[in-house]
Amino acid sequence: MMNYMPGTASLIEEIDEKHLVLLRDGRTLIGFLRSIDQFANLVLDETVERIHVGKKYGDIPRGIFVIRGENVVLLGEIDLIKECKRVLRPVSIEEILEDQRCQQQAKQEAEKTKLQVAPESYLQRALGANQVVIVNLSFHDRKRRRKGRFSTRS
Amino acid sequence: MFRFQSLDEDCTLEEEEGLVEEEDEIDQFNDDTFGAGAIDDDWQEEHARLAELDEQVRDGEVSVPPTVAPAAAASSPQPSAPPPGLEERGGGDLAESLARLILGTDPAIAGVGAAGLPKRAELPPQHKTLSEALPARPPLLLGYQQQHLRMGTAPLQVNSRSIWDSIGFGPVGVTPGLGPHMEDSSLLSIIKEVGLPKQPPPMRSDERRDLSERVPPPRSSSPVIGSPPVRAVPIGTPPKQPLSHMLNQQIHCPTAVHVRAPIPHRYAHPFPDRLSPNTLLNITNSPLCRPPFPGGVGPVLSQLQRAQLLSSQVGAFPRAGPVPPLLPGGGGGFRPFFGQHPPRVGPHIPPNHGPIRHNTTHLHPQHRRLLTQRLQSRGDRGGRGCERRIRDPYSNLMTQREKDWVARIQMMQLQSTDPYLDDYYYQNYYEKMEKKQERDRDSSSKKEHTTKLITPQVAKLEHTYRPVQFAGSLGKLTVSSVNNPRKMIDAVVTTRSDDEEKREKQVWNKRRQILYTVEKMYSLLLEVQDFEKKFIQTPEEQRDALLDQHKNHTIQLYNTLREKEWDDRVSDEQCLMIMSVRKGKRLVSRLLSFLPPPQAAAVVMAIARNLPALAKKDKQDQVLCWLVEPVSVVVQSLSSSALTDLLQELQGSEGQLPRVLQNKFGVTLLYLILSEGERMQSSDANCQLMDDNRWTELVFSVTRKLLEVPPASLSPPLFTPPNLLSLFSRYVDRQRLELLQEKLQISALSR
Repeated sequence: MMNYMPGTASLIEEIDEKHLVLLRDGRTLIGFLRSIDQFANLVLDETVERIHVGKKYGDIPRGIFVIRGENVVLLGEIDLIKECKRVLRPVSIEEILEDQRCQQQAKQEAEKTKLQVAPESYLQRALGANQVVIVNLSFHDRKRRRKGRFSTRS
Repeated sequence: MFRFQSLDEDCTLEEEEGLVEEEDEIDQFNDDTFGAGAIDDDWQEEHARLAELDEQVRDGEVSVPPTVAPAAAASSPQPSAPPPGLEERGGGDLAESLARLILGTDPAIAGVGAAGLPKRAELPPQHKTLSEALPARPPLLLGYQQQHLRMGTAPLQVNSRSIWDSIGFGPVGVTPGLGPHMEDSSLLSIIKEVGLPKQPPPMRSDERRDLSERVPPPRSSSPVIGSPPVRAVPIGTPPKQPLSHMLNQQIHCPTAVHVRAPIPHRYAHPFPDRLSPNTLLNITNSPLCRPPFPGGVGPVLSQLQRAQLLSSQVGAFPRAGPVPPLLPGGGGGFRPFFGQHPPRVGPHIPPNHGPIRHNTTHLHPQHRRLLTQRLQSRGDRGGRGCERRIRDPYSNLMTQREKDWVARIQMMQLQSTDPYLDDYYYQNYYEKMEKKQERDRDSSSKKEHTTKLITPQVAKLEHTYRPVQFAGSLGKLTVSSVNNPRKMIDAVVTTRSDDEEKREKQVWNKRRQILYTVEKMYSLLLEVQDFEKKFIQTPEEQRDALLDQHKNHTIQLYNTLREKEWDDRVSDEQCLMIMSVRKGKRLVSRLLSFLPPPQAAAVVMAIARNLPALAKKDKQDQVLCWLVEPVSVVVQSLSSSALTDLLQELQGSEGQLPRVLQNKFGVTLLYLILSEGERMQSSDANCQLMDDNRWTELVFSVTRKLLEVPPASLSPPLFTPPNLLSLFSRYVDRQRLELLQEKLQISALSR
């Protein structure tokens, strides 16, 4: 493989490998990365949406996915060897969906109780909503501004 | 990326019916596809004719298998013209490898239509169904909507001969079976399983006509104006699969081809500027980095093609001037591998031989070493992965070319005009490392050279926009473009010196202070004015308090005006200050009516005293005359001595009276005083006005001045009291009286 950008984590080398992709909406997709582009839009082949609840998981086969790059939180190659050693228990789709529903319900109830306890507390509410809080710590020192380069310098 | 034409929900994959239906509509799109100039030949004849030509050419020399597709003749369905790809499978190895080579090597050839290899071989039976299905596809292509279908390294043969092939693929571009590549069979299997992708939704008839005229107008590009150069395709478009040899086609049928200009012609820009990954790919990749071929076929480019490619490369080379030359093995600049002239394509290029050909990032040599080591270790691991990949039917959907393209884009983003700004930590880290090495070297006294990182920088090109100016015209044309946006406001920065600023500040401060004082007084005055109303409203008990308050207010008011030490004299300074503002004058005029008489008199005295100054300041506002009424009230209530004093004040300093006379108010005031005096004298026999000679003298001097002053500088008063005449008649003789009369235009009846 030609290595144009040594030291960088280009997705080019990840093509045709099995990957796990975490999306911004919380979904977990597993599939073979077939194609990419400069925005890190992905084409996943033989995609499976995996739902995790506790120690169980269920797979929903989805086929081919085209994912817009901005919605990807992270992705990583799946080690096929390690994958075989299953720690989690696979279950059927119906069961896992049911479990997921219960989990969501429980979460909502927990939120409700939190609100009842201290409805004025903004922060509590925010945390209770279970959203990702992004804290922007930006350095204003001009010199130290890094260009967006997904590189790993040794 | 997969090239499914439409990813809408109802993209069903069992589409026999759909395909069949749309066969009827295909002809509707004819004009759209081929343009208004499409010739309505019998394509079969054309095809046959050209095929014969092909055969001749082919037999005669080892040349490019021609694309037999005049665009005009290429009406879409060609049921009996087998898709060339299909035929190739059965055809000669030479032919197909040639085809592949040419198509692969020359991306510049904007392909039109498929490489026809008719009558070459039998149609393999298993592909028959597909070939039947294929013609049903309309050749309608909607430009950038179509993405390229990946088929390993071999380019696709397009069945449709649409003119839009130069942009991208025809929707038919699913010709399976391109030879011995295993990946192609993958595609075949895909098609078998999945069926052909759905066609784009048929367009309404009213839109039909518009499509052919949808070509955008030619854009102008001018360096003077500063607009960016026009691109055939936008910078971000992925590489298209190089299609067949339009060149030969042109040779054979020069007239009927509507194609776009091949890409190298467009490559006329300075090197580091406005490069797209595509152009880079085209130049650098074109004949050179094709993957290995079986059979070791030599490159088969016609002379023309070769010349074209080389010239484009050579053309680019000298323009890479601003970029410093490639350092041997070290941190090179951003350039394609001109430095390395690889051998001709034909011989087998080992696939995993990875010299870092494209030194596009200025890596520190240490860094590079580390990375090559890592790469090698990974390469060992990668060998095992190969087996798995072979079994994977869908692998290599993304061609190497496309991968390169993405990599190039990423590399372009890394170009930096200021590495210390963009990659501060990297630079610093390696600097430190170098220093450390030097220290170590000195201490250990080795003969090693520490490798230094010399980072070439992309030259910063500053394009200053000079507005276009035509000779003999007024002004300059302002054309705004991406690089020089329109200047909306001509904001000029004016910096003031410190002194000026100070002075200005002082002036402003003073004025603010005056206004502040006036405001305060006003509030007091309003309180005083409202006293009566309040008095009525308050109950008995509190009236005293209110009264006291009222007195206080008035005292306060007067206090602001009066001199610090003297009770009965108004401070000139204050007076002037307050009266310099229009509001102040208003204030005073209102104030006078509320002040107790002696205080009011004092105020009027002050006014009279300072009249010239006041007059001067009043030039802008001209509101002194507001004062007339209250002043007249005050004057009429004055005692004779006070009156005399007042008159004296008015004449106070030398030359004051003339100035007073210049001012309307002054004249009016004077008349007021005189008339009051006269009234006093005439009405009250006991008046003390005549007790001392002051009054007389004053009046004498006044009359003298009145006579002396030229009429021009005598301002007409607001009104002329009627008894002036009698006044003057007392003091001056007849002659003078008449003169005065004339001058002042006073008559017994004047008012």
